[in-house]
Amino acid sequence: MGSNKKYWSSIDELQNTTAAQEALGSEFTRSGEQSVEAFLSDSKLNESNTGRRDFLKFMGFGLTAATLAACETPVVKIIPYVTKPEEITPGIANFYASTYYDGTDYGNLLVKTREGRPTFIKGNKNFGIAGGGLNSRMNASVLGLYDSARLKGPKKGSADIDWSGLDTEMKAALASAASIRIVSNTVISPSTQRAINELSAKYAGKVNHVQYDAVSYAGLAKANGGAVPFYDFSKAKTIVSIAADFLGSWVMPAAFTSQYAQTRKPENGWLSKHYQFESNMSLTGSNSDHRTPIRPSQEGLVAAALYSAITGGTPVSVEGADTSIKRAADDLKANAGASLVVAGSNDPQIQTIVAAINSVLGNVGVTVDTSNSLNLFKGQDDQMSKLVDEMNNGSVDVLIVYGTNPAYSWIEGDKFVAGLQKVKTSVCFNLFADETGSRCTYMAPDNHYLESWNDYSPVKGRTDLAQPTISPLYNTRYAQESMLRWADNGATYYDYIRQTHNGAYSATMMKTDSSWNTAVHNGTFAGTVTEVAAPVETQAAPVMMQAAPLNVNDAINYVSSIKGGEWELSLYQKVTMGAGNHANNPMLHETPDPITKVTWDNYVTMSPADMKEMGLETYIGQCDCASLVKVTVGDKSLVLPAYPTPGQKSRTIGIALGYGRGAGNEEIGKAAYQTGREGVHLMDGDKRQTIGKNAFPLASISNGVINYTVSSVGVAQEAGTYAIATTQMHSTVMGRDSVVKETTISTFLKEKDKKKGEASYNKAVTLPVHADVNKDGSIDVNDRQHINEVDLWREHPVEGVGHRWGLTIDLTSCFGCGACITACHTENNVPVVGKDEVLRHRDMHWLRIDRYSSSAQDTLKETKEANNVGTIEAYRLMESPEDNPQTVHMPMMCQHCNHAPCETVCPVAATVHSNEGLNNMAYNRCIGTRYCANNCPYKVRRFNWFNYVTNDKFAMVNPAQDDQLRWVLNPDVTVRTRGVMEKCSMCQQRIQAGKTEAKRNGTIVLDGNIQTACAEACPTNAIVFGDLNDKTSMNTKRSESVRSYHALEEVGIKPNIFYMTKVRNIEESEA
Amino acid sequence: MFKESNIRKPLILGHKTYHDITNDIVSPIEGPAPKQWKIAFTIALIVALYGIGCIMYLVGVGIGSWGLNKTVGWAWDITNFVWWVGIGHAGTLISAVLLLFRQRWRMAINRSAEAMTIFAVIMAAIFPVFHMGRVWLAYWTLPLPNQFGSLWPNFNSALMWDVFAISTYFSVSLVFWYIGLIPDFATIRDRMTKPKMKKIYSILSFGWSGRAKHWTRFEEVSLVLAGIATPLVFSVHSIVSMDFATSIVPGWHTTIFPPYFVSGAIFSGFAMVQTLLLIMRKTMKLEAYIHLKHIEYMNIVIIVTGSIVGVAYLTELFISDYSGVQYESYAFINRFSGPLAWSYWCMMTCNVISPQLFWFKKLRTNLGVTFFMSIIVNIGMWFERFVIIVTSIHRDYVPAAWGEFKASTIDIGMFIGTIGIFFTLFLLFARYFPVLALNELKTILKTSGESYKNENKH
Repeated sequence: MGSNKKYWSSIDELQNTTAAQEALGSEFTRSGEQSVEAFLSDSKLNESNTGRRDFLKFMGFGLTAATLAACETPVVKIIPYVTKPEEITPGIANFYASTYYDGTDYGNLLVKTREGRPTFIKGNKNFGIAGGGLNSRMNASVLGLYDSARLKGPKKGSADIDWSGLDTEMKAALASAASIRIVSNTVISPSTQRAINELSAKYAGKVNHVQYDAVSYAGLAKANGGAVPFYDFSKAKTIVSIAADFLGSWVMPAAFTSQYAQTRKPENGWLSKHYQFESNMSLTGSNSDHRTPIRPSQEGLVAAALYSAITGGTPVSVEGADTSIKRAADDLKANAGASLVVAGSNDPQIQTIVAAINSVLGNVGVTVDTSNSLNLFKGQDDQMSKLVDEMNNGSVDVLIVYGTNPAYSWIEGDKFVAGLQKVKTSVCFNLFADETGSRCTYMAPDNHYLESWNDYSPVKGRTDLAQPTISPLYNTRYAQESMLRWADNGATYYDYIRQTHNGAYSATMMKTDSSWNTAVHNGTFAGTVTEVAAPVETQAAPVMMQAAPLNVNDAINYVSSIKGGEWELSLYQKVTMGAGNHANNPMLHETPDPITKVTWDNYVTMSPADMKEMGLETYIGQCDCASLVKVTVGDKSLVLPAYPTPGQKSRTIGIALGYGRGAGNEEIGKAAYQTGREGVHLMDGDKRQTIGKNAFPLASISNGVINYTVSSVGVAQEAGTYAIATTQMHSTVMGRDSVVKETTISTFLKEKDKKKGEASYNKAVTLPVHADVNKDGSIDVNDRQHINEVDLWREHPVEGVGHRWGLTIDLTSCFGCGACITACHTENNVPVVGKDEVLRHRDMHWLRIDRYSSSAQDTLKETKEANNVGTIEAYRLMESPEDNPQTVHMPMMCQHCNHAPCETVCPVAATVHSNEGLNNMAYNRCIGTRYCANNCPYKVRRFNWFNYVTNDKFAMVNPAQDDQLRWVLNPDVTVRTRGVMEKCSMCQQRIQAGKTEAKRNGTIVLDGNIQTACAEACPTNAIVFGDLNDKTSMNTKRSESVRSYHALEEVGIKPNIFYMTKVRNIEESEA
Repeated sequence: MFKESNIRKPLILGHKTYHDITNDIVSPIEGPAPKQWKIAFTIALIVALYGIGCIMYLVGVGIGSWGLNKTVGWAWDITNFVWWVGIGHAGTLISAVLLLFRQRWRMAINRSAEAMTIFAVIMAAIFPVFHMGRVWLAYWTLPLPNQFGSLWPNFNSALMWDVFAISTYFSVSLVFWYIGLIPDFATIRDRMTKPKMKKIYSILSFGWSGRAKHWTRFEEVSLVLAGIATPLVFSVHSIVSMDFATSIVPGWHTTIFPPYFVSGAIFSGFAMVQTLLLIMRKTMKLEAYIHLKHIEYMNIVIIVTGSIVGVAYLTELFISDYSGVQYESYAFINRFSGPLAWSYWCMMTCNVISPQLFWFKKLRTNLGVTFFMSIIVNIGMWFERFVIIVTSIHRDYVPAAWGEFKASTIDIGMFIGTIGIFFTLFLLFARYFPVLALNELKTILKTSGESYKNENKH
């Protein structure tokens, strides 16, 4: 259709007025604006410096630059990918291998990211060091990434500064400085060391690098030739630990836990025998077979006594521990070459004796690896001490702080702060404006480890890689890049790392360097690795290390001279808080301590008998506050609540390090401070109240190393009380033998071949029935049927049909470390509720670990007979644990009963059984009558008492309430609303994903392809998940083991969770 | 005409005519409100409003404003519920069961006892409704047609049975009470001079004319309703007890609960009737109709039911030990020797020991003692429910999960508030409704009235 039609854009044009004719000439017709021609023909234009062509160049560049810059802007709205990145499928998680190191903890990780957002951390079990187990601190560290208190960019004082400005000023300061000091934690990254070396070379002769660790192992290193040896607990048949909490905090607890667990599998036919000598009840002590409470001042003496008993030297007597020492020594001798003695003390003399014992026993090279020693914990306490003196003398011009927080964790933090005022220029790379950073001239925040490339060499001969899983959230910069810039090196840290490992690296090697790609994939290098040493001149030789090696006999004489006071103190680290790096992690604060089950606080652990004697409150609950005690060490004192801890040696106390962060009201995050009933911070004058108190200042330096025990402290009651929030009020099992079952290794081995339900320690529960079931012709008491055969209800058709998911939990290899608790917490978006709510017994943990301490007699009958009392009094006696109790850690979560009592009582059928054996909870249907929770014999159901996501009470603590931190929520799991019940779903979302995956691949679900968060997090494989209908699965085999039982089997509710009897390596007479 | 033995004590004292009865009951409604009533009503209203405020806070903030926790999922809420339902038992028992047994002394007390029942059941209903985490979805407990894939409630759940039991009981009691009120409303209507009030009472009286036909129907309906209501008296509390009995919690899972709960309910119900009537007869000058004979009879019911309850307590104790089940046995040992033993002993003293004082005639015919005892019994019965609920679940199977319970101000406020609402309603009833079944009372005036009996002696 040919068109000759003409359209007019205006009446003027139609009428062809003059104005219209003029307008036709100019492209842009709006009045008041110049046309391009007019603009370009402006005669004055030539007077400007920018020519037209240049102008267009600038325009073009500007446009391109703006476009490129825009590419890096983080997307804040949910929008679909226009071009889908190859590796990201919405809804499917990606895992990246990475590495965690914060100066205290070291671990190889797999980081789960969803749509480019890290949400979960698990151990790298294939390539990780010693099995790749993680502790709760590491798997909860993903919260730190989204911490909204992190520094958003570089700062000068409290004012913002840009990076180039910072670099200019720092370079000027460095150039004019006479002495530059770098203080850091132990640097185990070869590339970081290179960067430091480069900075040192640039300002040659002025730089001194001081490393110190928040918790020092200098004494241990000193006694072992300058480095902490690597231990292998898995080869030890006899383990003697003198106050070393190797499962909780000592050296590399996550790795040691995995190793130790290998010696705690009774199915192997043997168990390691573990002796523990300690004053505080530690996690390790609670798992030992034979625990002897000693005073901290006796630690050396125990080592000396062991040494002399083994070598046959002059006998050394230790009050109250002689028989234990003799037994331990005999066992060590019997297992010479396959035993291990470790000590927690930082005293080089004691460690010298311990090293000598291991050497005498021939353990070196077997369980003690001194040739592949650790690169970790190379800190020098005496150097740090010297540095602080230098600073106070005013002889330090520039101080660079990397990866450490001396104002808090150095034992003389106050002195460090005073010295810092005299330093001309100081710069801190910490992520927060913390105790140190906020007092420095500049803060040059480093990237979070999940945003960073890095390389680490934890042990000689091993290099691991860390890779970023998200681009930096804030305007932060690698500390290494900062140092390189100041050394006039413009390299990116990524290139720098590659150069470290391959001198011939060039940017085109991305696709060709397959060894690098494999290393990134695995998180570790295979084969030879590059070591970067610090140049000698930057590292003033430590005073202590120069001294001649210590002599065992001298050491024995020395330890014999240690005298204890009336009260002694031993500082320890909690499994949850460690050295205090995670002060703003609400999830870790809420994870109960494995022994005391206390959350959100540190306190003085005391023996209940001592407390009664002093008139302190020993029953601590919602309305019964703890008494305060004042602990005095020299001129320093702390006022802390006293908490009764069975197993604590009488007249000794313990205080956890790692608390009391932010004493100067620093901006280290809202969860780092105490919140009260209304959800607002509690104030101490104009400062926010800290959580717990800082106990680092109570430690002291002796013989050039920090000593974490104090042989003479003052302990006095202080007026006032303090509320302590614990998740478990009752300690003993009250003779309930179907909750926890225990036996000894000898009994277990004797009855190893019996069928399940027949072993003396694990008899099946039967009921007398009125039928001749034993076919003896008469109906009598011998006619008994298994509890599962007597039933009121119709069977749920789960057995033998489709899947039947279940867990088996081995109480022998569960050490109570709590890694499963934090894993469950992050995986399932479990709300954090804060101290006040925990105090009201409303913690929301889907998975808890019940800790039972033994009472003096195990059963009611024995108690009655032993004490000659009646039933009532006997029960009362059974409520208190004995002085040095045996402990059981029992993970407890929804048991997914096939005859679930919760299901029958729900009026609206909100909790129902799935045909895969799961007890499902339909949040949408729940109306919140709580009948199910009342009727649950395990008390594992958790009610949403408030709307944790909006209620102001939880604004400071619940991750879901923080705009940034809520990114950590798992998109696969609903955040529950107020008024509904929730509980362990056995990671339903993972089961579903696993089934979908199998279906897509056209296979059946293979054993081990689906893992619950708790099973995955367990460093000891104590928790195993699997299909109980799959007869070949590991889980089925374990569930059919002679050790396996259902908790509360006699109630007849048929759980899908099996426990496996705890087997102790003790004599029958001690059981 | 029915003739009553002269040995029996008269039910209506003094010389009363039909007109006197009408006057005594209706004139307080017609006159202005007395000062005492105004004071009492104001106090009750303030307390009621406070309670309503607490309920609003609870709904606004969440169940966390109560003192419950992960171990103790029910405490004051269900304690109060069972307590109020229990109180609500006396009314129907008096009107229905005693009607069937032709106990004429009930006529003086049945009206207010029934009113008490209705109000107590309303109070009771507040707790299970508002104890829900998501109260706005409370209608999901009803088997209504729906679009959730036609999802039914769970008929296995005792809470479901509760919904039916309580709502049936409430509706039957309400109808029964209202039927009884109709002739009396008509009497008020006939006497009323204020036009507006007359209009209201005429609507309330459903056009009652007092014809013989009406009376016949009235009698028939009363009997039928009594027949329906009688099993309900026993079923309601039996079903309430099944909330506990069908669970697996040691201390709840007990087969004797149904009869034990029913007798406990009657026990507390009669005590509450005593409390209310003793005040009412004094302030409204009803001494001629409600006198020692009534009070003594009710005290006798209290001894009997109190003793049944006492036997039940001891049976429970014995069986718990005899069962040999360690959880069961410990649950009861914990009750009387554990951290909440004070509540157990409070219950024992109030419910088992104190009613035994009524074996002494002097005490059971003493108004002061009766009043005091009626309060004690209700305190005791509140503790009974608290003991059953809280001491059982705070220490059940797994010792690591053992906990404690501390009531919050909202817990206390809501309970006190329901007492306020209850008294507000009861005072309104006393002000605007005939507090005695005056027309029924007239039927026994000639046979059981003191003066008539004396005349008939010859």
